[in-house]
Amino acid sequence: MREITHDEAPVRRRSNWRAEWFRTETLMGYAFVLPLMLWLAGTILYPLIASVDLSLQNIKIIGSPGEYVGLENYQRALESPDFRDALKNSGVWVVANAVIQTVLAFGAAVILKQRFKGNGIARIWIILSWVVPTVVVVIIWRWLLSASGGVVNYLLVNLGLADKPVGFFSTGNMAFFTVIMINSWRWFPFNAVILLAGLQRIPEELYEAASVDGATTLKKLRYITLPSLQPVLFVMGLIGTLLSFNVFDVIWLLTAGGPSGATTTLPVLIYETAFKRYRLSQAAAMSVITGVILLVFAAIFIRFMSPAADAEED
Amino acid sequence: MRSKFAHVLVLLLIAAMVIPAIPAQARQDKVQLTLWHMEGTTNRIERIQTLLDEFNASQSEIEVTQEPQNWGEIYTKAPAAIAAGNAPDMLFAIPDFTPILKDLGAVQPVEDFVAELDAEHPFYPAMVEQYTYDDHTWAVPLYNMAQNMWYRKSVLEAAGIEVPTTWDEWLAAAEALTTDEQYGVGLPAAKNLYTDQVVYDFMIGAGASEIYNDDGSLRFNNPETVEAYDMYNQLLQYSPADSPNWAWGEAEACFANATCAMVIQFTVISTYDTQAEGDAADLGVAPIPYKEGVEDPGTIAYANAVMLLTDDPAKQEAAKTFISWLLQPENYGRFLNMEPGLFLPVTEDGATADSFWEDPLVVKYHDQVQTMIDNSTSGRLFGFTSGRTFPSIASISAQNLLAQTLQLVAIDGKPAADAVAEGQSIMESAIED
Repeated sequence: MREITHDEAPVRRRSNWRAEWFRTETLMGYAFVLPLMLWLAGTILYPLIASVDLSLQNIKIIGSPGEYVGLENYQRALESPDFRDALKNSGVWVVANAVIQTVLAFGAAVILKQRFKGNGIARIWIILSWVVPTVVVVIIWRWLLSASGGVVNYLLVNLGLADKPVGFFSTGNMAFFTVIMINSWRWFPFNAVILLAGLQRIPEELYEAASVDGATTLKKLRYITLPSLQPVLFVMGLIGTLLSFNVFDVIWLLTAGGPSGATTTLPVLIYETAFKRYRLSQAAAMSVITGVILLVFAAIFIRFMSPAADAEED
Repeated sequence: MRSKFAHVLVLLLIAAMVIPAIPAQARQDKVQLTLWHMEGTTNRIERIQTLLDEFNASQSEIEVTQEPQNWGEIYTKAPAAIAAGNAPDMLFAIPDFTPILKDLGAVQPVEDFVAELDAEHPFYPAMVEQYTYDDHTWAVPLYNMAQNMWYRKSVLEAAGIEVPTTWDEWLAAAEALTTDEQYGVGLPAAKNLYTDQVVYDFMIGAGASEIYNDDGSLRFNNPETVEAYDMYNQLLQYSPADSPNWAWGEAEACFANATCAMVIQFTVISTYDTQAEGDAADLGVAPIPYKEGVEDPGTIAYANAVMLLTDDPAKQEAAKTFISWLLQPENYGRFLNMEPGLFLPVTEDGATADSFWEDPLVVKYHDQVQTMIDNSTSGRLFGFTSGRTFPSIASISAQNLLAQTLQLVAIDGKPAADAVAEGQSIMESAIED
């Protein structure tokens, strides 16, 4: 067999690439994907371009005319204390939700993995909070936590745990904590189901072997469970963060960003700017900035946290 | 046999295609009107539908259909619908909502039509004034709403307290009525329309009902307004801890379950009757207390109205026919009583209409409803006072800046004077071009 010289190699690769590209199967593949690509371009790319275009104008209310003002809206957003506060709130929101939901989900998944009577019912029961529509969840919690007739305050006072009814939405910190807990309560079952699926794929033999070697529960967690769950945790971390960052409904319905802006995250601020303050172009600029922030986050997360990246480094 | 079957099948198919098309064709011949309103509770939708069915049955060439919306979304949805060319033909409004759509060029002037109606059913002048500016009237008033102070007579009697009329009496009453099981008063402090309204009640009570100077500049930052916010904040200590998150429903519930001794509301009659004692003799309603010495106390009150958005002459005429029909006394009272005791008449003959006063709930709470009507005569609305209208109030109202200023005091702990100064600054920024 004749060896390929250094000069010939790129030519061969190029011709292979061309041959590959013009293969009927490849073309058919692209033909099948094309409608979806066009659909995505129409539903995502066009609105994205329209948002950028909008952000460069000074349109206030939907349907009103505007003029191009360059990057003025971006400058205004970046200099705005409201934007900075909302960005900070969004950061706290994402981290707090991630930590609380992961801990709760992991605990629930470990329990649900055990064999016990009623396990099947428990697995269905746990996802109820996730299945119930957000608006119903919010109304239930608002009434449960009410300081004038709410069950939670009734129990707190009658069990002697509080002198008087607690205002769960009365101060900024308390309101933020309460909204985070309600959102975590709503979403942790979803994460629990994903983690449960991951846990069930870990061979029992690994734990048995570790036990034989005298490994403690913590060591099993450190050296078997967590490494095995890494692909699942990676997906949860990436998708969960993006979803969590963009949560609007729970916050808006519970506090509308209050009191005094304490629970105003970026999605809430963008909505307020567009539809309460009637500054549509400013809101579009904030949306674009938010999009860039999330894009950068996703790129960094994938670069440094993906199991594939770890494997390469190893 | 097979041929006969085929013929029958063809006839059936033709009939199936033609028969449903007949009423559809008949509908197409009629002028179709779409009405958007924000009275989204089941009983209100049902009452409006009953009236629409009656109206549609009485008309051979007009058909009106309703599409209920809600106040939380309409400020967003209506401009979007107009931009998309899907606006309704008629849309209910409150005074500070109208300028937003009017500035989009979507609202038809109706001063001639209002004058026609006024000749037949005289409007209370203040109701029309709230929709009259820039040389036109932009909506037809339909019903009035005014806030009042609600209480249980037995609760005040048990505490040996007279119904408060001044701020000092009110503060003392709230303190005396606050116990382990009861809050002296229920006041909202959320950043929403309800809080805006109650804050404005306090501003009226302090003699600070004028938010604008004659030249249109803001005069929100003044000593009377500061006093109003200070008083509000003092009373909040006797209000439930979660009132920074209250909307109308929480206040009504607090009163209905007897956790709040006094609340400021348009009405509590419906919830009190269905979810509380329902003892008409024990339900008290009074004017909202004011600062002693203020000469012209009152309450927030405003007319809800209907705007014509269609520019089609045939649809405009059809809409006018519908509105005229609705304001006929025999229909109007039933329209108002879609929520008995909440919606008050805007026409003189409506105020005496049997159809209004004969509703069972209105009969039962006759005294309270009469007091509400009396209180409404001293009503006014921020941005629409003293016969002057300042459409830029729409920006202040849409962002709930009166309520936001309250949160600076009640949540952030700023002195009322600083908060009001900051409030004016935020308002100026909101209305700047």
